[in-house]
Amino acid sequence: MKMKKKIVLLAGLGIMLFSSCTVLKEYEKVNINDPDMALADRKIDKFQTTFQSYREAASGANGGKTGGGCGCN
Amino acid sequence: MRLQLIHFSDMKYLFSLLLIGSVLAVSAQDDITAGEYKKRVLEHTEIDFLVNYYQQDGENAAVTGGYGTEELQDLSPTIVVAVPLNDDDVLTINANISAYTSASSSNIDPFDGKQPADPFVASSGASKSDVWANVVGSYSHSSEDRNLLWNANLSVSAEFDYTSFGFGGGRTWLFNEKNTELSLNGNIYLDTWKLLYPIELRPEGGSFQQVVPGYDPSFNEHTSKGRNSYSAGIGLSQILSSRMTGYVSADFILQDGLLATPFHRIYFADKEDYFYENFQLADDIEQLPDSRFKIALGARLNYFVNHRVTLRTYYRYYTDDWGITSHTASLEIPVKITDKFTIYPSYRFYNQTAADYFAPYNEHLSTEEYYTSDYDLSKFSANNYGFGVSYTDVFTKSHIWKLGLKSIDAKFHKYDRDSAFSASMFSFGVKFVVD
Repeated sequence: MKMKKKIVLLAGLGIMLFSSCTVLKEYEKVNINDPDMALADRKIDKFQTTFQSYREAASGANGGKTGGGCGCN
Repeated sequence: MRLQLIHFSDMKYLFSLLLIGSVLAVSAQDDITAGEYKKRVLEHTEIDFLVNYYQQDGENAAVTGGYGTEELQDLSPTIVVAVPLNDDDVLTINANISAYTSASSSNIDPFDGKQPADPFVASSGASKSDVWANVVGSYSHSSEDRNLLWNANLSVSAEFDYTSFGFGGGRTWLFNEKNTELSLNGNIYLDTWKLLYPIELRPEGGSFQQVVPGYDPSFNEHTSKGRNSYSAGIGLSQILSSRMTGYVSADFILQDGLLATPFHRIYFADKEDYFYENFQLADDIEQLPDSRFKIALGARLNYFVNHRVTLRTYYRYYTDDWGITSHTASLEIPVKITDKFTIYPSYRFYNQTAADYFAPYNEHLSTEEYYTSDYDLSKFSANNYGFGVSYTDVFTKSHIWKLGLKSIDAKFHKYDRDSAFSASMFSFGVKFVVD
């Protein structure tokens, strides 16, 4: 029950926080559109993410494997 | 902290919030007007060639009950081809091979007759090497105004003792003039083990009971070969300022079926130890519950310091109903040396608590229901140091036949646990654009 409340609270806070941000026009996104600002791992990091899913118990929430597809954790 | 299972019926509050977000997203969509320029989602076919070399070593192999060499080398070539089918649709094929040699896997059958069997010496048996092959096909579609995307994927993978079939899909909404992005995704994997037991526990291994007086393991074969994994994920990204952008995500994963590995040995503290040559014979194999529920919550925050330096941060909290909780935090600092060259040092910290069913070598009791001596499920902390170099030519001036060179990446990682385990890997990638 505590975990459920935490998740709902986090999701709600996230939506409220994000919805209060200023809106940038396309021409104002020069910095944001820099490839290094991408909100994802680099393609070359997929090997590291896969290795971690074998050698560590935690997985998910990183754009990589969440479980299944291999005899890993 | 133990996790209480969250049933899907109990998640209505979360999905209500998502629904509200979806409605807001749809209402915020602005259709493209007649005659307005529409940029193709992908201008040209792109091909990525990637290869990775990985090696590890340690002293706590699960194959030998938590005591034995973990030496392993792996070579993984990968090719990713993304083809624009029209202005809106992209087909991506990802083919991957992972070829490895493993000292611990070789000790599924350590008695090769060439040298005395030993948990710290690799055997030359058939299980010393294997190849994992994987193909993923995915299809994505973007709406006319690029505010709505959906994708679907199919995957197949196989190695000697494991096959997998997977499928899934996702949907993404962009709104607030593409400042906010909400995504939902789901995946299902239907996997099957080929049950491969330690040699002394196989029917043909009965000879060990004849040559080792008193050896009579309490072993029952698994009745299930299947392992199913179901995952659902949500993600929300937001431009926070002209220099900062953030992302939060959550994955919920349910697994059922055979979640233990059939060739992981167990040695009981309350059973007599039996050896053949220098190798301790198994009392049993790893036993784990037939279901596992995982929750992973992640967050990314990137900050554009100036035209040369960017800060990329990541944090993840993980918990499951096997008693494991984990924290992951990482920082990467890309620095543009020139217009084309970027270096990106990185650091990642990881820790986890032990699964309820874990105990070290020879410490489990035969009266327990579940047991594992797999140190990947033990309590540990790990530090990962990385250093990467990237070359990018957005104009693809250099050509090989009809392939324009767009980027080259190389990265080295060093991974150290606070236990006796370390690993390193070198990754290399080249991206071409087809003229």
